[in-house]
Formats: sequence, C-alpha cells, structure tokens
Amino acid sequence: MKISLTKVTWRRTVQVLCLLGFLWLFVQTEYQGQDQIPYPVSLLFRIDPLAALADLLAPGAFSWSLWPALVLLVLTALFGRFFCGWICPLGTTIDGVGKLSGRGPHLCQSGWRKVKYLLLITLVAASFGGLQLLGLFDPLAIFLRTLTLAIYPAYNLGLNGLFDWAYRHDIPVLNDLYPVFRDNLMAFFQPSYTLGLFTLLVFLLIMLLERVERRFWCKNLCPLGALLGLCSRRALLVRQPDALCPDCQKCATECRMEAVHATGHQSSECVKCLDCTDSCPQQRVRFGLQGPRPQAEVNLSRRDLLVSVAAGVLMAPVAQIAPQSHQRNAFLIRPPGAVDESEFLRRCVRCGECMKVCIGQALHPAWFEAGATGLWTPLLVARLGYCEYNCTLCGQVCPTGALRRLPLAEKRKTVIGLAVFDKDRCLPFARQEECLVCEEHCPTPDKAIVFEEQLVTGSGQTRSLKIPKVLSDKCIGCGICETRCPLGGVSAIRVTNEIETRHPQTLAERGSAYG
Amino acid sequence: MINLDRRQFIRSVLQSALVAGSLPLVDLLSAPAMATTSPLVSRHKGQDIGQLVEDTLTALGGMGNFVTAGDTVVVKPNIGWDRAPELGANTHPEVVKAVIEHCLEAGAAQVRVFDNTCNDPRRCYVNSGIQAAVESFGSSRVRIEHMDRRAYQEVAIKEGRELRRWQFYRPAIESDRFINIPVAKDHSLTTLTLGMKNIMGVIGGNRGRLHRRIGDAVTDINLVVPSDLTIVDATRILLRNGPQGGHERDVEWRHTLIASSDIVAADSVTATLFGFQPEDIPTVVAGAKRGLGVMDLSRMRMV
Repeated sequence: MKISLTKVTWRRTVQVLCLLGFLWLFVQTEYQGQDQIPYPVSLLFRIDPLAALADLLAPGAFSWSLWPALVLLVLTALFGRFFCGWICPLGTTIDGVGKLSGRGPHLCQSGWRKVKYLLLITLVAASFGGLQLLGLFDPLAIFLRTLTLAIYPAYNLGLNGLFDWAYRHDIPVLNDLYPVFRDNLMAFFQPSYTLGLFTLLVFLLIMLLERVERRFWCKNLCPLGALLGLCSRRALLVRQPDALCPDCQKCATECRMEAVHATGHQSSECVKCLDCTDSCPQQRVRFGLQGPRPQAEVNLSRRDLLVSVAAGVLMAPVAQIAPQSHQRNAFLIRPPGAVDESEFLRRCVRCGECMKVCIGQALHPAWFEAGATGLWTPLLVARLGYCEYNCTLCGQVCPTGALRRLPLAEKRKTVIGLAVFDKDRCLPFARQEECLVCEEHCPTPDKAIVFEEQLVTGSGQTRSLKIPKVLSDKCIGCGICETRCPLGGVSAIRVTNEIETRHPQTLAERGSAYG
Repeated sequence: MINLDRRQFIRSVLQSALVAGSLPLVDLLSAPAMATTSPLVSRHKGQDIGQLVEDTLTALGGMGNFVTAGDTVVVKPNIGWDRAPELGANTHPEVVKAVIEHCLEAGAAQVRVFDNTCNDPRRCYVNSGIQAAVESFGSSRVRIEHMDRRAYQEVAIKEGRELRRWQFYRPAIESDRFINIPVAKDHSLTTLTLGMKNIMGVIGGNRGRLHRRIGDAVTDINLVVPSDLTIVDATRILLRNGPQGGHERDVEWRHTLIASSDIVAADSVTATLFGFQPEDIPTVVAGAKRGLGVMDLSRMRMV
C-alpha cells in the first residue's frame, strides 16, 4: 500500500511542479532589464505538437525550434498519453478545479469520445486547405491565453487594490511587502486586454464541463489529446490486465478517462495517471513495457471520417473567399516581424505569448477585427500602447514563426503602418493651438513627424504656429504618436496599415506614390 | 534659502490637507517669493566629469550650501528616453553619480532618484546608464526607484495660469531638498528643454496637455515644485531631433555644467550655449515674468 501511495504522490508532484514551472516561465515573459529574454519562456509551445502541426502545414520552412514537440510525439508513441496525465497544465488545472468543484458521473454515451478525433481531423483538413484554427482548441493555447488575458490581469488587479489600500491606510507589513511583490510576482504595469472576459468565459466553460463528467474536455474535445491518442494506439507501455476483471470492475468507475472496459484497455484514451494501480483492491493492475497489442480503441466509422474531412475541406475555401481583413480594416496593425497576413494566420496559434511580453501593452487579441478566423490573433492597438522602438521581444517569444525574430537594426526599419492626421481634430489644424506632442515622441532618429511654421491670424493678431506633418518615408507605424496624442477619446493621429514592410506590393507602390 | 521657505510652505499645505482629507490648495501668490535680484550662476568647463561637478559646485559654495546633514534629497535627472548616454537624450550618468556623491558628503540621509519617463521606464533607467550609476553606490542611503503610481497627489493651484489642478508626485514635494539635473537639448515646441521643463518628470496626468501653452504650464508646476539647485548637464548637448535624438551626429560635446539656485537663470545661461537668447525660450520668458527667477543675463553674477 505504501508503494502504491507513492505513485499517486509522484504523479501529483510532477503535475504541480510542471504547472509551477510553466507559471514561472509565464511570469518571466516580461522585460527585465535585458534586450534578450534569457529563458525559453515559450517552452510550453515548443513542446506542443499542435503548434508544430500548424507550423508544418503553413507555407514556408518548418521552425526547427519546435523539435521538442516531435520528441514528445515519439515518447507518446512509446509510452502513451502521459503528457495529458502528468504535464499538461490545463489537465492539471482541470484536476485541481474538479477536486474543488465536484465532478459529474461518467457519461453513458461513449460516442462522445470520438468528437475530439473528428475535431482534430476537421482542423487538420482545414489547415491543409489554408485555414488554421488549431490554436482555438489547443489546450496549451487556451491555458496560456487565459492566463495572459484574464487571470494574471485579475490577479494583479487584486494585489494592486490591496497594496493601494495599504498605502492609503499606512499598513506597515503590507507596505514593506509591496516592493517584493512588485519586482518579482507582479506585472510592472497593471495588465489590461480587450478580450479578457470572453477568454475567461471559454476557460470557465471547460472547467464547468468537469461537473458533467470528469476530464470531459480531455476525453471528448481536446484535439491535442486526440493527436497524442492517435500516436499512442500502439504504445509499448500497456496495462495488465487490459480488461476489467470480472470479479471487481472497480477500474470502470475509478478511471478518470474511462479507458478500461470489459472488452479491453483503450491505450489511446489512457493518460497513464496510474490511479488504477493504486486503487486496485487486489493489487493486480500494473503497467509494463510489453510491446503493442491489439487494443479496444475508439471506433471511428468511415462515415465519421468522411464527414469531418469534408467539413474541413469545405470550411477552408469558404473562409478564404471572405474579403481580406487587412485590406478591409485599415487599422489592422500586426506586430513587427509578422509574416504576410495569409501565412501569419496559418502560423499563429493564438497562444498569447506576444501579448504577454509586449512591453508597451500594445498587443491585444482580435475579436472580428481580423475577420472571423482571426480570433485572438495579436493586434497592435496604438491608442492603448505603442511599439517600443528598441524592443524586439514579441519576435523572441513567438513559437511558430508567425512573428519573425528580428535583429534590432531590422526591427527599427520594419514598417508596420503609417500615421495619418485627422486634421478636423488635431489641435494645430483644427483649433490653431500649439501641441507637437506627436513630434516630440516620434522615435526615429530622423523624425518621421516634422513641423512647418505657419502664420495664423486669430482674434485680431497674427502669430506663428507649428504645424506637424508625417513623412511617409520615415514613419514605421510604431504608434507612439497615437498613444500619446493628448486629445480625449480617439487620437487625432492614427496608424493605418497603408504601408507595411511585410506586404511587398504596397512597398513597391511606396517608391512611386508615397516616397 | 529662499527656495527652502517655499518648499516648506508647499509641503505644509500638502500635509495639512492630507490630514484633513481635503484637496491641497497651493496659492502661488501667498507662497514665499523665489527670485533674488542678482542670482549667482556657476558655469564651468572640464573634460573630467567628476572634477567638473566639483568645480561647478565649489563656485556656489559647495553642496553644503544646499544640503544639510540629515536631509532627504531628491536628485532629478532627465531619464525620459530609451537612449544610450552618448545620444544626449538623458542626463549623463556620471553627472548623476557625482552629484549624488556630493549630496552624501554633505550629509544627506537619503538620496532618491526618479523620473516619470516618456518611453518604458525600465528601458529608460537601464539604457540611460543611470540605474547602474546609482546602484553602484551599493548604499541604502541612495535609491533609484520607479515612480510609485500610488504616490501621485492631486493639487489645486490657485493663481495657476494654465493649470488649476494637477497630479504631482508626492516624494518630489515632500523631500527636504530638490536638486534638478536636466540635460540641455533641442525641443521643437519650447526651442530648448532645460531645467524648468525637466520638472514635467515629477508630475502625472496627461502631460501632453501642457503643450497648449507650455510656458505658463511649466511655470505653474515649477512654482509648486521649486528646485533648490539646478545643475544643467551640458557635457554634451543635443542640437537636432530633440528631445530624444538618436544620431550621434546631432550631439555636440561641450564639457560644460551650469548651476544656480535660480532655475530661470541657469536655463537662461544654458540657452546661450546653443546660440539662443533667454527671450527665445518660452518657458524661461514665462518663468521670469512670473517671478520664478531672473532671465536678464546682465544681472547675473557669473562664477
């Protein structure tokens, strides 16, 4: 009994340590005085086979930095879906939340099991056709973007509120603790994002499913679980006895994945949590390396396959006939290093790493700004934050090459948009008042915003006024002018995607029409 | 010291209002006056920055004239931009360091360094070299810190010309001494940015709004946060593409410091380094008009 207790303890310890490790990397995903982030902060996606799949199916070369994902697939082929039971941070969160919230009974309808495979097949078929939505359902992306967009901001808001209160009421211990928290355990600025609540609702829904059935998400919906399941059908690590024992059948209710049946053990469903080895009253159950055996796997009919492939194959072209979002929405600004928009959408797995690391809090998740299929992709919202001239962090953390890692010199020359004045609102134009805040902040060494002095006549006297002007061959679209414009509401200078380095055609036009 | 009377006056206004739980109201007219009729201005040149700071301060009677034992001192450099020292956008880190050394020698109990930056504060502190310079003291008496967003206090300004209410950084008002060490550089709207405009780094709010009538706005905040000593860093001056620059070719080495307890006088003398007259600088003109200091070069006692 002592030994079997250790197995559960082992698994839980590994789960908690992995979760803490990923949380630690998450907190490190921030500028800390060095231009290069010293830790592999996006490790979670470098081991993510779905991210690797998205990368593989996108045009352009495969990002070999994703090699750990391939290692994970090989290990899964040998040892089964241990990732789901031991490492996946969403799985660990689900286990923890289920313990607190209570869990539903097993569903009788075992037909649900195949939904995840059908979803995976649909997503992969769509990816082949040019529509990549893997990231929407990738559990690791769901985990990290929920953390980035919802939970971490809420955590910071709570702590900031507490420390504000302590400051106002002069509470000694809390006031002393503040610098420790601020420098190590909190974001430098209170994080704020556009889709926080929606992102949280999706996450809560997945947690709520635990009330329907234990590990409902992992059993029935998770496409990563499906991919790992497909790899582990012939896993060498197998359970003995494989089927339920006629005299006991406790595994049928104990197994969180409901992988043990009278007809045998479903290797592709088992997450190798080893609970059954602990809970077996006769201590009969054990796992051993035995070589592949025929297993009682989830049955996918030919018709199921056909329907899911057809769905993906249909969705891809229909999505592509939608008008190009970046042409329809002039304010769709992508981070520097973003590849061509269609390739970008095929590479971005919506993980949220770039939004987390963005030093100016300029990157926000898209809702429909980038079209129906651009949900959660990063947008630069220049009114909320600007792209810091000497910063290259987003390209450093992007796991799939949707954002290229730009050397600083190249980044400074990368044009992500063009600033345009709204002369009806800009103070010198509209009200003949001095301002030039945009010119002051413009970061290019030869300023992209300059001014001309003009004589203006108002209330009976003539005076000189400095009128700003954007030089389109200098502007890189960083957006600091839009962020800092002192007007209330909409800025009087806005960045549009009229000129972008990543779209060579508009760049060619730049030479003639705008240069 | 005249500025100190004013500093104490404003501090007491702030503190009594905070105790009463009301909005502090600074009446600019009833506060003690700042200007003397013929300010002492120290202007020195030298290649070695440590020696240069020493010479400049000695001419004014040494730092002991401004800082007494046990004082809490705010040293306010310009750390506004994510730019390296050689680009002339921020106060030179060696100037900051030498000034702090003099404060410590004069017996300051605590020296605090901060600035409300324009670019990301972490990048500015690191890449200006100022964070490393301050931390090199390794002393608990010297601290560089990021602005604490909780410490901004709204202050009502009676007789303020452009600002009637604004957010001020409490540690800047509450310190015993405030030593202003701006860098001298080009600025499109104010022609030059010098000591007076450097005070924009200790206020909060939507600072761009001050640009509408910047001379009076900057004078308003200077009347609330008086500088006990202004040391303008003109070791190198940024001539074009200010206030953040980016080309070394826009920077000229002058190896000069200008210091005075009269901020308008210090700014006026610095303007001449660029070939301007004090009248060309709107902040200087507004400051002089409203009694913040003297801009008439002929009335200054140069040492």
